[in-house]
Formats: sequence, structure tokens, C-alpha cells
Amino acid sequence: MQLTTTPEDETFRTAARAWLAANVPGERPPREGKAAADFTRAWLRRCQQGGWAGIAWPRQYGGQGLPPQRILIWYEEYVRARAPSVLDGSFVALNHAGPTLIACGSEDQKAFHLPKILSGDALWCQGFSEPDAGSDLASLRTQGVVDGDHLVVNGQKIWSSYSDHADYQELLIRTEPGSRHHKGLSWVICDMRAPGITVRPIRNLAGVSHFAEVFYDDVRIPLSSVVGPLHDGWRVAMTTLGFERKTAAMGLQFELGVRIEDLIALARPRAGTALAERLADLRAEAAALRAMTYRTVLREPVTPSDGSMMRLYFAELAQRIFAAAMDVLGPEALLDGAWSHDYLEAYSETIAGGTAEIQRNIIAERVLGLPRE
Amino acid sequence: MAFDLNLSQDQRLIVEAAAALLAESFPLGRLREARQDDLAPLCAFGAFSLSASEEEGGSGFTIVEEALVHTLLGRHLLTTRSLATTVAAAVARSVGEGALATAIASLGRPVCAGLPGAQGILVLDPVPNAAVLVFGDRQLSLVETGAVREQPGLGHSVAVALAGGTGSTLASTDDPARLAAADLLVSCHLLGVAEGARDLAVAYAAMRRQFGKPIGAFQAVKHHAADMAIRAEMLSAQRDMAAIALADRRPDAAFQVAALRRLAPPVALANARACIQLHGGIGFSAEADAHHFVKHAHALSRLGEAASLLDLPSPMAPRQPAAERT
Repeated sequence: MQLTTTPEDETFRTAARAWLAANVPGERPPREGKAAADFTRAWLRRCQQGGWAGIAWPRQYGGQGLPPQRILIWYEEYVRARAPSVLDGSFVALNHAGPTLIACGSEDQKAFHLPKILSGDALWCQGFSEPDAGSDLASLRTQGVVDGDHLVVNGQKIWSSYSDHADYQELLIRTEPGSRHHKGLSWVICDMRAPGITVRPIRNLAGVSHFAEVFYDDVRIPLSSVVGPLHDGWRVAMTTLGFERKTAAMGLQFELGVRIEDLIALARPRAGTALAERLADLRAEAAALRAMTYRTVLREPVTPSDGSMMRLYFAELAQRIFAAAMDVLGPEALLDGAWSHDYLEAYSETIAGGTAEIQRNIIAERVLGLPRE
Repeated sequence: MAFDLNLSQDQRLIVEAAAALLAESFPLGRLREARQDDLAPLCAFGAFSLSASEEEGGSGFTIVEEALVHTLLGRHLLTTRSLATTVAAAVARSVGEGALATAIASLGRPVCAGLPGAQGILVLDPVPNAAVLVFGDRQLSLVETGAVREQPGLGHSVAVALAGGTGSTLASTDDPARLAAADLLVSCHLLGVAEGARDLAVAYAAMRRQFGKPIGAFQAVKHHAADMAIRAEMLSAQRDMAAIALADRRPDAAFQVAALRRLAPPVALANARACIQLHGGIGFSAEADAHHFVKHAHALSRLGEAASLLDLPSPMAPRQPAAERT
């Protein structure tokens, strides 16, 4: 166990810090709609022009091909410079769709899509969940019927974040007639401008619409847009989960580390003893979250599901930190502000991407080896 | 590799050897008998001078290896004398009392952990002719106490005695680095308690059957077990961070150790409590091993106090203050 950086790592840190200081936008990103999407595209373009596109992507696909310690350094500098949250309209493209294409896509798919993702020309959304397939994702019913060299898709997806202004969607559908559970699914690239697609934004409890329902009415998708073998979509979908849990999580988790520092700075003039004790606990917990992040990136996992412990710890810590913020603010907590807004948004942390209950089942069964119910 | 959190070959070997020794000499079942741990097997292993240099009679490892081994001692609910012995030897070494340090690490001079209490020094797991390492307010003092009076305590696995008064001070320090090393090792024992409680509870939940299946198949039980796993994982990740920072004398070492020391007591106690709960009726009995984890968690939590975390600079501080205040 060692955490010793080389002089080259420190040169990299200095360069990242300097570039971020000069290029991070001063304003807070718009919360929703086209303005949010445009902001994201502009930021991705700027990162690419600066030579920082695709930090965790391999070099041959336009990324930086950095070793783990440089990715950690980049994200620490990134959040400490208050760069835009990594959980924006670029999240699915950079952390899910892109890595899936790199792992399972055809040469044509990679050549067409990967450059557009890094330049900000293509934003992606996810099309996995359905009204009757939430935690039980494998029961999904949206159907794709092969018709010549196309799939004809009918059905409905939900909780598709940023789908109102996304260019493409990673769409998981049932393509083998009569198949059940995780068999007979396909992972396809869906052009969000294809005829037959209707997007209905859903307003969330924080008052903004960054996710939506998506309806598919005889949407024709070329078979050349299937990623991996037809009917093998579940395996394709699982391929990139590890990437999401490691690299994508890094930025989010470090971001929370900065938020607790901001909260402590905000509270210092007004905190009584009880609040100070609570903030000290949260600061210690945020330190441990950072340690878990390092461990996940720099250590062979004991079981493939080790990352699920960090994911759940992050989600619940985020909720505790924002709940504390409401108490720090006092009466001002009732005004719409950065803290109160993020407090409300944080209610999704223990639901999105696998509810806390499902995560606990996974930890108990796959990390601790307890029997299935 | 310079940036790597896997155990090195040396670390793996020492952890495996310590685990084998502990399984052989200190099985949990020993706690059902009212007798004190005999630390001789650990002394032969060199457990009390791992991070002392070879010239000082130690093994020449760092505090990282010491932290790994002490976590295992915590898992086996070793007496707090095992912790006090390592810390007292290091304190003696740091103030130039080399002969005393050697005597302590070789068990020639036994050491018990002590707490300053209202009625005098509370001595844990007392043994004859022991010096007492008092975990004071940001101060470690190794003192002679003279005769002690055994007191009824929480149970025989954490025995307590009262020392009438203090005699001479053998060694004392308020050096922050030395205190941080002690805080690290106390936290390691607490982590061991959390890990041991998790493993005992999970093994029981997989074996105990009700309603025709193992109770571990029920989500209500699974979710307690998952929380135990998360708490232990979180604390052990922070243990690695703090140990490495201390070994490398990094600028954030005090912060990392203070965070660890703050987290460790509630984690150990929560896991110990859940371990009793998941055992059901037998968990409430003195015949099962679960209750020892609670008692050790309380005793260890009393050994010193964390440095004030809000007074230390965080390695994650933003480069600029926030523009928006609310």
C-alpha cells in the first residue's frame, strides 16, 4: 500500500490546476432545458480544445488514456476548481454509452459516435427503466421487431434523464419474441430525432424537468445500430457498470467532499456546539468516502460487487450532508437557493441507479454471501 | 507501483501469519473462560515492536503494517494490554528510554491501558506489577500506580481496577505525531471489533434457520448485515488512508487520523449492537460471543479522544471560497 506520486504526476496536477483555474465557467450551470444542454456542450468543447477530453477513455478513441492516479488527481483538481458537476447532460455519454461502445461496439459505431461525444456534438440519454420495470429491470417490455434490416420499436421508457435535448439514447429493448427476464434483450443506439419518438418531460420534486418519459411508436432503428450481438443486450448493459461505478463515481464523490467544506465555511460563524459536532461527523464521513474512492480505483476488489458498498455510502452521505445544510441555513432554507435545491435533488440518490433496498440486497448476497430470498 | 492500495507481498505475508497465529492462540471461544489473555505468543511474533527499527530491536516495518496487525488483534478481541504495550513501547522509544521500550515489548514490564477517572485511574485488564499507560487529554503518560483494587465491571472480558494514586512517571508525551500513532492503533482495534462483529453475525445468519430457511435469506436481516459491511468497509478504507499518511508524514496525516478516530467508535458499537440483534435470544446470553464485541467497543472508545477535526485543514478544500453563500 503506497500513495506516492511521481514528479510527473505533480507536473500533471499543476497543469490541470492552471487550466481549470483559467477555464472553469464562473456562472452556475442552468438547471434544465436547452440552456443546460448548450452549457454542457460548450464545456465539453472547451475541455477538448484544452486537451482534457475523455480523461478516463483510451487514447486510441480520443481520450487521454491516463493511469488511475492521474484520473484521481484530475478529478480532485476538477472539483476543487468548482468545475461543472459531472452529473449533467454529458454523464451518460461519457460514462456509460461511450465506454459501452468502446467495449462492445462495431468499428463503424465507434468511428461515428465516439468523436461526437468528446466534442459535445452528441449528448446521450439512457433508456433502460420502464413504468413496470424499475428495480426489476429485466422485466422490461419495450419491444423491437426485426423487419428487414431494421428493428421496429414500440413501447415506453421512463426516468430518462436529459432525454429532452439528447441526440442519442442507449436503449435496452426486448428483441427476441417470447423471451423472458434478461434473455432476448438488445442494446441499441436510438437516434432521438427518429420519427415516432415522443418525449414528455417530468417535473421532479425540486421543481425542474431534467428527466422524461419517452414513447416509441413504430420507431425504425437500423440493425446496424445494435451494439453487440442481437438478443445479447443484458451482457452489453452489464459490461460498463464497472466503469460507471469507478470512474464516473470519482467525480461525484469528490464533489461531495467540496460541498461539506463549503457547508462548514457557511456554518462557522453561526454554528452552535451540536451543529459543529454534526458537521465534524460529516467531514469525517466525507474523508472516508474519499478513502473508499481511492480504494475502489487502486485495489483489486475482494468481490466484483465491492463498489456497491461505496455507491450506497455515497448516496446516504449526500442526503445527510444536504439535510445538515437545511439546518445550517435556518429560515433561509425555505428560499430557493443552491443548498435547498440540491437538498431536494438529493432525494433521488437512494433511488436512481438502483434503490438503497436493492443495493443492500446486492451487498448482502454478493459481498457477504448470504442466501437469496 | 507508487500509487497502489493492494497489500504488498510483505504485508500479505505478515497479515496471513498474524491471522494464523490469532486463530490458533486466541479463538473467540476463549472469552467464555474468565482468564486474561497471555500475550506471549504475540510477543514471540514481534507484534509489539513491528515499527521499531532493527537497531531498536524491532522488525523495521512501518506503522502501516502495525495498523494491519492491530486490526487483526481487534478482530480477535485481544485485551487492551496488547494495544497499550505497543503504544507504551513506542512512547518510551520516542523519549529516549530504549531499555524500558525493550522491556515493555518483550513483556518483561507488563503494561495496562488506563483512563483518568473521577475516583482515580481506571486500569483495564489489570495484571500484577504492570505499569499503566494513561490515555489523557492529548497526552500519553506511562506511570507506576502501585496497588490497584479490582472493581465489578461490564464483564470479565473487560476487567477494571482502580488505582489509588499515581507514583512516578516512566515516560510521557504530548507529541502530536505520537498521539496520532496511538489514535490510529486504537481505531484499528475498533475496526477489528466492527469486522469481527460483522463476520460473526453473517456466519450466524447463514446458519440459523427459521421459517424453513436461513434467516440471512430475509431482507430485514440482509439489510442489517449490509449496513455492517458498509460501515466496516468505510472505516477500513479510512484506516489505510490514515496509516499511509502517517507513515509518509504527509501534510494531511493529522486530518486523516482525526477523521478515522472520530468515525471508529460509533462504527464499532453499531456493528457490535447489530451482531447481538441478529443473534436473537442467544445474542443476549453470556454464552454466545456477541456481547464481548459491545464491551470491547466501549472500552476501546474511551482510550483517548480524537483531535478536533474542524480545526484541521482538509485535503479536499476548494481552491476558492463559494461565490454563493446560500
